[in-house]
Amino acid sequence: MRLNPVLFTAPSSKNARRPQREPVPFQMLLPLRLKKTVSGKGDKVKEAACMQEMAVMFACFKKAEFDQQQCLKEVSSFQSCYKDYNERAKLQREQGRKGILVPGEKNLTHRQLNQLLKSFPPKV
Amino acid sequence: MNSIRYKLSGVTCSVLQAANFRPAYIQCRLYSGPTSFPDFFKNPIFRKEEQAKLIEINELSKLAISPVKPPGVSETSSVYYDPLVNKLINHVMKMGKKQLARELVEKAFENVKRIQIERYHLASSAEAKAKIILNPKDILHQAIENCRPLLQLLPIKRGGIVYQVPAPITEKRSLFLAIKWLLDATNDKERTIHFPQQFAWELLDAANNTGKVVKRKQDLHRQCEANRAYAHYRWQ
Repeated sequence: MRLNPVLFTAPSSKNARRPQREPVPFQMLLPLRLKKTVSGKGDKVKEAACMQEMAVMFACFKKAEFDQQQCLKEVSSFQSCYKDYNERAKLQREQGRKGILVPGEKNLTHRQLNQLLKSFPPKV
Repeated sequence: MNSIRYKLSGVTCSVLQAANFRPAYIQCRLYSGPTSFPDFFKNPIFRKEEQAKLIEINELSKLAISPVKPPGVSETSSVYYDPLVNKLINHVMKMGKKQLARELVEKAFENVKRIQIERYHLASSAEAKAKIILNPKDILHQAIENCRPLLQLLPIKRGGIVYQVPAPITEKRSLFLAIKWLLDATNDKERTIHFPQQFAWELLDAANNTGKVVKRKQDLHRQCEANRAYAHYRWQ
């Protein structure tokens, strides 16, 4: 007679594959405190610039059969918006790369944050 | 001394190079491109108006003590200097034959001038005459301004599908596209019609806000408008 192989292959109570039993004991693998730096992973996501202006321009284009001459106001507002955005982004990138802290700045880059954390280290 | 050395001809340059006469950081104009000089070399200010601007803000004395790259052969302080025409000539040029490219562009300008003068003399009233632009360089500026696209379509992959997403375009890229489209439209011609003739027609058409190139720009805008629903896929 052959025995069912399941009986032999099933995890025993000493096997690491055994089902967990409540309560699960807590093991501290890493010290329970935050790091003194932040990573730059969250900085990648940025907003799409000038969506509003683009939509207004498209509406005007559709009305004027894509004749640019009739939409000069919309076109110039779109272009100036993109120019402003580029200048702002460039400035922010440069300051962020150097880690220069601007007083009153709300959106800090990770380098700026690290600079701040370095100069005022969190107490442990 | 340095400035004299920069203006040496290619032959002398290579001779000097072979003799190891020059210091290591001095490059000849034989090497094209921005990398032939180290970063601390400043760009030359060769226009009198720009020099006057620098003098006004007292920057010229600072520039005078730093090493400066030599200006290109076509970068002069002449009244006929036009950066846009220079750029156009460089786009027309093939295999480094700049003289031929310049001749072609100048011939095209001549053709534009001839056509415009003919129109000027055929025009009946003084008002109609006043409206006709006779300067071919003005026509070129107008044509390129009319050909510049405002948007571009970027391929962006979302969920395994590549969407053509409308996005704003930089000044530099829109200038590049305008010149490229003008030349594309020109080169799409009969074999018997020569480049200067066709280019003159294209320039006049574009300056008049009609023709193949303006239509191509409008087609791009149409496609951008059709794809406007994808615009939020652009996370810059």
